[in-house]
Amino acid sequence: MRPVIPYVTAALLFGLGVYGVLRRRNAVLVLMSVELMLNAVNLILITADTTVRAALPQTGQVFALFVIVIAAAEVGVGLAIVLQLYRLRATVAVDDVPLEKVDA
Amino acid sequence: MEDLSLPKIDYAAVAPMLILFGVACVGVLFEGVLPKAARRVTQLVLALLGLVAALSVIVWQSDTRVLTAGGAVAIDGPTLFLQGAIIVLGIMALLLIGDRAMEHGGAFVAQAAITVGSEADRKQAVKEQGATEVYPLTVFAIAGMLLFVAANDLLTMFVALEVFSLPLYLLCALARRRRLLSQEAALKYFLLGAYASAFFLFGVALVYGFAGGVEFGTIHDSVTESTQSTVLLYAGLAMIAIGLLFKAAAAPFHVWTPDVYQGAPTPITGLMAACTKVAAFGGLLRVLYVGFDGVAWDYTPILGVVAVLTMLIGAVLAVTQTDIKRLLAYSSIANAGYLLVGVLALSKDGLSSTMFYLVAYGFTVIAAFGVVTLVRDADGEATHLSRWAGLGRRSPLYAGIFTFILLAFAGIPLTSGFIAKFAVFGAALDSGEAWLVVFGVVTSMLLAFPYLRVVVMMWLSEPGESTPTVSIPGGLTAAALVIGVVATLVLGVAPAPLLDLTTSAADFVR
Amino acid sequence: MAGYLGSYATLGLLLLASVVVFVGAFSANRLLRPASPAEPIGKRETYECGVDPVGGDWAQAQIRYYVYAYLYVLFAVEAVFLFPWAVIFDRPGFGATTVVEMAIFVAVLALGILYAWRKRILTWT
Repeated sequence: MRPVIPYVTAALLFGLGVYGVLRRRNAVLVLMSVELMLNAVNLILITADTTVRAALPQTGQVFALFVIVIAAAEVGVGLAIVLQLYRLRATVAVDDVPLEKVDA
Repeated sequence: MEDLSLPKIDYAAVAPMLILFGVACVGVLFEGVLPKAARRVTQLVLALLGLVAALSVIVWQSDTRVLTAGGAVAIDGPTLFLQGAIIVLGIMALLLIGDRAMEHGGAFVAQAAITVGSEADRKQAVKEQGATEVYPLTVFAIAGMLLFVAANDLLTMFVALEVFSLPLYLLCALARRRRLLSQEAALKYFLLGAYASAFFLFGVALVYGFAGGVEFGTIHDSVTESTQSTVLLYAGLAMIAIGLLFKAAAAPFHVWTPDVYQGAPTPITGLMAACTKVAAFGGLLRVLYVGFDGVAWDYTPILGVVAVLTMLIGAVLAVTQTDIKRLLAYSSIANAGYLLVGVLALSKDGLSSTMFYLVAYGFTVIAAFGVVTLVRDADGEATHLSRWAGLGRRSPLYAGIFTFILLAFAGIPLTSGFIAKFAVFGAALDSGEAWLVVFGVVTSMLLAFPYLRVVVMMWLSEPGESTPTVSIPGGLTAAALVIGVVATLVLGVAPAPLLDLTTSAADFVR
Repeated sequence: MAGYLGSYATLGLLLLASVVVFVGAFSANRLLRPASPAEPIGKRETYECGVDPVGGDWAQAQIRYYVYAYLYVLFAVEAVFLFPWAVIFDRPGFGATTVVEMAIFVAVLALGILYAWRKRILTWT
C-alpha cells in the first residue's frame, strides 16, 4: 500500500512554497514560503520512512529532526538580515520596502 | 531498533574539522570575555593558528583513506586535497579580512544594527573599530566547507551546506562602506540560498524514497541494482544538482552572483569566490562521481548544456560590465562553466584536473580581490571601471600585478590559468566531450576581451582627476597578494608537482 | 473505508461532528433570537464602550522581543536532539562517550547563551 495522501500533501505544500517564493514581494513571506518547502520535505521524509526498506530503522524520522533544527537556525539568520534591512530603510511597514531585486 | 550501536569515529581523520569548530567556539567565547582592545589581534591569531593546525593535521593524515562516523564522513584523496585547498585559500582570505591598514577599523562595520545614515552611523564609520565577530564566523564557514567536501551522505552534506552558508550570509551584510548595498546583497543571497537549499533537501528526500538511504554507497547500489521506477531518482538528482549548482554559481542559477559579489565586503567576496567554489565543486564531484555514477549517461548531456550556458552567460555579460567587482563576478560564473567541463569528463583525469583548476583559480581570484581593496578614494574602494583608467601611471607595481592576474584569468601561457584550462579541456577531450571543449575555447577567447579592456584602460589612458590612489597595503594584504601572485606564476611555470598531487589524490572511497 | 483510508475515518467523523455542532448552534441561534433587535445609537460603532480607537493597526514591537523569542526558539528546537539521546544513552555499548558527546553539545549551546549575556542582550532596560 502506497501512502498517497501524505505524498500528495507534501507535493502540494512544496508547490505552494515555490509559488510563494516566486510571487511574494515581501521578504518575510518569502521566508515563510521557504519554511513551507522545508516542512513538505519533512512530511516526505517521515512518510518515506514507513515504506522504504532502509538499512537502518527510523532514519527518515531522524532526518526530519535535523531539518527542523536547521530550519530554525536559518530563520534566525534570515530574520536578522530582514529586520536589519527594514531598520536601515527606516520603515517598518514591510510592504513599502522596495525589494525588486529580491524576487528573482 | 535493538541493533543500534555507537558509530566508530576516527578522530584523527576528522581532526581538522574538529579543530576548526573548536577554534570558532573559542572565538565566540573570546568575543564574550575579552576586552574590546585585545579582541582583534587575539581573534586573528587564534583563527590563523587554528587554520595552520588543521592544515598540518591534513598533511600528516595525507595517506588516510577511510569512511568514518558510521559512513557519514569520507576521508579520502579528494577530500584531503580539497580540504587542504580550502584551508590555504581560507588563510589568504583571512589575511585580507584581518587587514586594517587601508581603512581605519578595517573593512567591516562596527555595529551592524545601527541605522544607515543616522548620526550614530556617521560616528561609527570614522571612529569605531570593525566587528571582530567576523573571525569566528569565517572559521565556522571554513569548517563547514571542510565537512561539505568530506560528507559521504546527503544529510551530512545538507547540514554542512547550511553550516557554511549561514555565516556567509551574515558576513555579506557587514560592509563598512555602502552598507545598504551590502544589506541588500545579504538579503538576496539569503533568500535565494534558502530557496536553493530547500530544493536540495527535497531532492534528498526523493532520493531517500528511491534508495532507502542517503549514503552515497547505498545510492550507488540502488542506482545500479534497483528495478523500481526511476522517476524519483531523476527528480531527486535534478533537485540536488540545483542546490549544488546554485552554490557553484552556474547558469541559470547564477543571478545572485554579481549583486552579492558587488555588495559584500571585498575580502568576503574573495572568500566566497575561492573557498565556496572549491567546496561547491567538491560536493558536486562527490555526488556525481560516487553516488550517481550509474546514471552518468543520463545526466551528462543536461549538465553539459548547463556548462555551455554558464560559460556563454559569464563570458558575454562580463563584456558589458562597468564595475570591477561585477566583472570579476561574471568571470567567476564563466569559470564555473570551465570547471563543469572538467567535472563532466567523468574520469580520473577529469577529477584531478578539476581539483587543479579549483586551486589555481582560487589563488588568482583572491589576489584579484586583494588588489581591488587597494584602489580607493575618500569614499572607500573605487570599483567603477572608468576610475581605473590610467592606474598604470599612478602605480605601475599594482597595475602590473593586476595585469598579470587578468592575463592568468584569460588563460595566457606561463600562468596557472593556462595550465588549468588546458588540463580540464584535455580531460574532457579524452572522454569524448569535444563539444564542451569547443564552447570552452570560444568563450575563453570572448572572455579575454573584457580582461584586456581593463589592461588597456589601466596602461594606455592618462590618469585623470578622478583616478583614485592606490593605498599602500598593510602587511597582511601584501602577504596574501604575494602568495596569490607567486602561486599563479609557479603553477603556470612548474605545475608538475601539483598535477602529480592531484593525480595521486584523485580516488574516491565508497 | 476499511482499507488504507480507514485510519482517516475517525478524523472524518470528528470533522463531520464539528460541522454539525457549528451549524446546529448557529441555526438554533437564528431561530431563537428576536426578529427585530433594538438599534440604539452607537451600536454599529467599533466599540460600544471604552476609549475610541485611534491610530493605525500597526504597532511596532521592541526589537528586544525578537532576540528573546529567537533565543527561546533556538533552545527549544535544539532540545529535540536530547530526546533520541535520552532513549539510548544508558544502553550497553554507549556509556561515557555518549554522555560526553551530549555534554559537548550542551556546552556549545551554553556558549551561545554566554555570548548573549556578555553582549548585554538579556538585560531589560
